[in-house]
Amino acid sequence: MALVLELAGVSHWYGAFRALTDVELRLEAGPIGLVGQNGAGKSTLMQILLGLIRPTQGQARVLGLDARTAGMKLRSRVGYMPDRNALIPGLNGIEYVALAGEMCGMARRQALRRAHETLSHLGLEDARYRRLDQYSLGMSQRLKLAATLVHDPDLMLLDEPTSGLDPEGRAAMLNLLGTLAHRPGKSLLLASHLLGDIERVCGSAIILDQGRVLSVGRIETLRAARQRGYRLRWDNAGAAFLDSLRSQGVRIEASRELADRSAVGGEARVIVPADWQTREFFAAAMAHGVTLQMLAAEEEDLDAVYHRLIGGATGRSTGNAPAAVPTREAT
Amino acid sequence: MTLEEIRYRGWSEQLTWSWLGWWPIARTGLVLVLRRKVFWIFLGLASLSFLFMFATIYLKAQLTTQNPGFRRFVDGILSNATGTGETYRDFMFAQGTVTMLLLAFAGATLVGDDIRSGGMSFYLARRIERWHYLVGKLLSVGFLVSLTTTLPALVLFIEYGLLTESMVYFRENWTILRGILGYGLALALVLSCLLFALASWLPRTVPLVMAWVGVFLLLPATGEMLREATGSRKWLLLSLWRDVRLIGTWCFGAADQPRELELLYPSMIVAAAVCVLSILAVLPRLRATKVVP
Repeated sequence: MALVLELAGVSHWYGAFRALTDVELRLEAGPIGLVGQNGAGKSTLMQILLGLIRPTQGQARVLGLDARTAGMKLRSRVGYMPDRNALIPGLNGIEYVALAGEMCGMARRQALRRAHETLSHLGLEDARYRRLDQYSLGMSQRLKLAATLVHDPDLMLLDEPTSGLDPEGRAAMLNLLGTLAHRPGKSLLLASHLLGDIERVCGSAIILDQGRVLSVGRIETLRAARQRGYRLRWDNAGAAFLDSLRSQGVRIEASRELADRSAVGGEARVIVPADWQTREFFAAAMAHGVTLQMLAAEEEDLDAVYHRLIGGATGRSTGNAPAAVPTREAT
Repeated sequence: MTLEEIRYRGWSEQLTWSWLGWWPIARTGLVLVLRRKVFWIFLGLASLSFLFMFATIYLKAQLTTQNPGFRRFVDGILSNATGTGETYRDFMFAQGTVTMLLLAFAGATLVGDDIRSGGMSFYLARRIERWHYLVGKLLSVGFLVSLTTTLPALVLFIEYGLLTESMVYFRENWTILRGILGYGLALALVLSCLLFALASWLPRTVPLVMAWVGVFLLLPATGEMLREATGSRKWLLLSLWRDVRLIGTWCFGAADQPRELELLYPSMIVAAAVCVLSILAVLPRLRATKVVP
């Protein structure tokens, strides 16, 4: 399959500030996620991919074209939806989208016809003659998407397309992007700080932090990088039991002793090695005279993987988000 | 949701020439200005002096046709409509105030809004280079300047020729046409560059109007005061509108004001410097996205 993005050693400085550091990417066509916090270098990367700025170092090829030299040709095949407002006050919906088409090289009549079509595709046909300052946020986002789609680009660069949308609008937008992203021969680079959005639409993802690519690959590969955690509760003194687990490579995240008038016991959150078998808990418990009262598996979501990779949060367990937690309990 | 459900259809047809990218920008800029009521108010004000001059020329032609003996008397009364180069130059100069006001408000619509509302991202992420955007916006401003100065002057020139001496007038006064076009071009170029630069750094209307007032009222007043204090006429170069007027005088071929034309070359240098510095000031503002370090 043809490569959509090829970046080799791309670095970019703004004066003394290094926005991108040695970015290496080779990605095939399809929906790709770009995850990073503010200041991670997403905007700079998108500008480089659009051919708007030349990287200080390295080479970038997009759709087989050199982003340094083929900027205009490249932009005629790429659609960019910025995260900022990017509207032109005073125009109405149809004029805005038709102008986008014209700016991409369409003749005026074609651009107008295509603008009508695109607005209909995105459910904005009733609002097409409304002034842009009267559009709601959700409508503005769909309008910007229409302006991105009007010339049917081979690659769509979408910067935070769901930002500011209510849950219903967000779900509708992701649904739409999911549909558009899987058109044959078309690709999508979806920048977001919400991994859930990326997970829903994209097949692969790039994780960017402070200008560096931390991880890149299939979403399934990222999922595979998830840590397996368990919550344990036991009866009797558990110090020797925990030491035994530690010696087998289990990381004890948090533990405490529970004691009342009738019995002693404890509970802990543990992270196990990749090849860990659940029965090994029972074997260790039996060996140290401990009775397991509860054994609950906790799975990290991609958000937690992301936060762990960027070294920011300590790893937000999905245990705090019950709807998303596949939990097995054994007593 | 499937592509069939949203009735999505792809698109692949011949694209237009890429160098034409400035045209939709210029056209859209004009549409945005023409939609504002304030523009029509200023255009109405600009039309007043045009209509007055139009009527004067008409009246003069009628009176002298009916009573040829009145010519000297009428010329004395209606001395601002003699059909010479000064007539049109002074008319274009007199349009300055209202043109300034018009541009001060148009600047925020044409350029300021793009900076403030992210329109720049919209434009620059398409199949254009930065110079397409620059040319498109400069043409929009240039057209507005021409609408209040060059175009009415051309209409008056044609009217004068048709109502008074017919083709002889055009044949003998072709330098006037050159003067109108040259002065108009100088006005359009200098004002559009300066407006673009100021509006790109001061995108809101009020600061822009204040800066504009500073350039076209305070600087000339300061220049005049300094001239009186030092006795050096070079301080008059601070009045940009006057500098462009000198260039206009030169375009009209008026050689009857040698004292004025002493400052012609310095005025040209000032006007050229304003254009170059304005373009240089605009370039860093032409970015598609804001970088958050």
